[in-house]
Amino acid sequence: MVINQTEQKESMLKRSWWLILLIIAFLIAPLVMSKFYLTILCEALVMSLFALSFNLLFGYMGQLSFGQAAFYGLGGYVVAMLTTKLQFNFWLSLAAGAGGAGLVGLIVGYFCVRLRGIYFAVLTLAFGQLIFVIIFKWHDFTGGDDGIQGVFPPEYLRSIEAYYYLIFFVCAISAFILWRIVNSPFGQTLKAMRENPERTEFLGIHIARYQLIAFVIAAAFAGLAGAVWVPFYRSVAPSYLTWIKSGEPVMAAILGGPNIFFGPILGMFIMTFVHSYILGFTHFWPVIMGTIILIIIFLLPGGILEFAKVKITERREKANIAKGQT
Amino acid sequence: MLLQTQSITKEFGKLRAVNQVSLDIHKGDIHAIIGPNGAGKSTYFNLITGYHPATFGKVLFKDKEITHLPAYTRCTLGITRSFQITSIYPKFTVYESVLMALLSHRKVTLKFFSSANKFFKEKVWNILEDVELANQANTLGDSISHGDKKRLELAITLGTEPELLLLDEPTCGMSPEETESTMALIQKLSTERGITILFTEHDMSVVFGIAKRISVLHQGTLIADGSPQAVRASEEVQKVYLGGTA
Repeated sequence: MVINQTEQKESMLKRSWWLILLIIAFLIAPLVMSKFYLTILCEALVMSLFALSFNLLFGYMGQLSFGQAAFYGLGGYVVAMLTTKLQFNFWLSLAAGAGGAGLVGLIVGYFCVRLRGIYFAVLTLAFGQLIFVIIFKWHDFTGGDDGIQGVFPPEYLRSIEAYYYLIFFVCAISAFILWRIVNSPFGQTLKAMRENPERTEFLGIHIARYQLIAFVIAAAFAGLAGAVWVPFYRSVAPSYLTWIKSGEPVMAAILGGPNIFFGPILGMFIMTFVHSYILGFTHFWPVIMGTIILIIIFLLPGGILEFAKVKITERREKANIAKGQT
Repeated sequence: MLLQTQSITKEFGKLRAVNQVSLDIHKGDIHAIIGPNGAGKSTYFNLITGYHPATFGKVLFKDKEITHLPAYTRCTLGITRSFQITSIYPKFTVYESVLMALLSHRKVTLKFFSSANKFFKEKVWNILEDVELANQANTLGDSISHGDKKRLELAITLGTEPELLLLDEPTCGMSPEETESTMALIQKLSTERGITILFTEHDMSVVFGIAKRISVLHQGTLIADGSPQAVRASEEVQKVYLGGTA
């Protein structure tokens, strides 16, 4: 048993070498990257956290939320309003952004988790648009279509490099927490609900309750992503809450692979970097993105990482068979 | 008495699928509900487990009324079921499927940060060995044979450590050999784990070989209830059921 555990730990180290390399790469990125690409890396990281929060519902719970941007935007608005209007502490504002989004998630989720499938998707879309319209129209309170400008982080975080590290740590820690959650008994329950809700209910699980908890967690992390982004961008606008923004994590998850934890992150990185690269010579970004999505859906239906995983498993099996023969 | 239904009735529009069925299920029994197709067996199961709300009548479990409790609560009280159309987790391994039942039953599903795989290892293997699926523990649910899927569903229900286990046609679609081994398994579960078993079946030889008590439903109504000998001797049963098909 003891040997088994050490073996397990060793094999885990072998399997996660790439993650360690990746973390090192992220840590030295500001030293080697231009400010332009560092800014895009910041955006990719924040959007990855947004996509991970969405994928807790989509990939793990099996429900498509089409209103996730509402929570992302709310997180941003909470930070913007607290820091500009009340001169609130920056760190507490970040926490309030996540908490505020989670709280609204509790109210919206209360209604949405009663439904499944397309009805869930449409209701989340409806709530998302409702929250968008409230913020868009309530000019006196939210700034309406002007949004809120002049959202500054504290002095020591004003440089791109310093803020990059903040974003990296917030995203890395959040990703770690979400990773623990999807592998926990609670995560297993979400997957069971996705696989067979009826069977799961007849094992004693109150489906709506678990869906609501997941919904609130997803809303809070989406809120945190928005909260950490807005002071970097120095402003927030109602466009953060639109259904178009809600579509981004959907596409990222499909691109990278919703059934693999890191899938949406890969998807978001591809989307963000390809987007900034293509904008250099054409405005027809949606056409190109649409084409990429089409190719993925038809050729790699489980997403890029799922495809890679299948190929790697096949190769390993072949290698094992070859080993067995010699 | 473990479970009691009092005049339990279910109407779907004008159709009365289950008509005032009053029945006692005794602790430790293997109790069969038989009847031709459309007799109301599955609907009766659905009323006991909370899949359908009853139109009227009562369900009592250990002398407490559970008629209006939701399905998941009834499960936590100790009533678990299998479905006529096998209901498993196609993309879970056999091991994970049984683990899920234990996680739920032992109330650890609200743990957010510990790894699910470290829980209840011994217990999961114990169940898998009992149902002879241990050698397929790492196979996905949808990659095993039909008979094994039925056994997997049984293993999942055992994970909830039920007092009363309802099996809806547990041998449906099985070969004679599989049927025999499944029935032997059910017998074993009843004697070794002391689980009370209520099952529906249409194969007469299966029922009379194992059941301690048999109840016969016909067009939603209970027409006979008693020992296998008494049921076999009942004229009404012979008229509506055994005479025609057995």
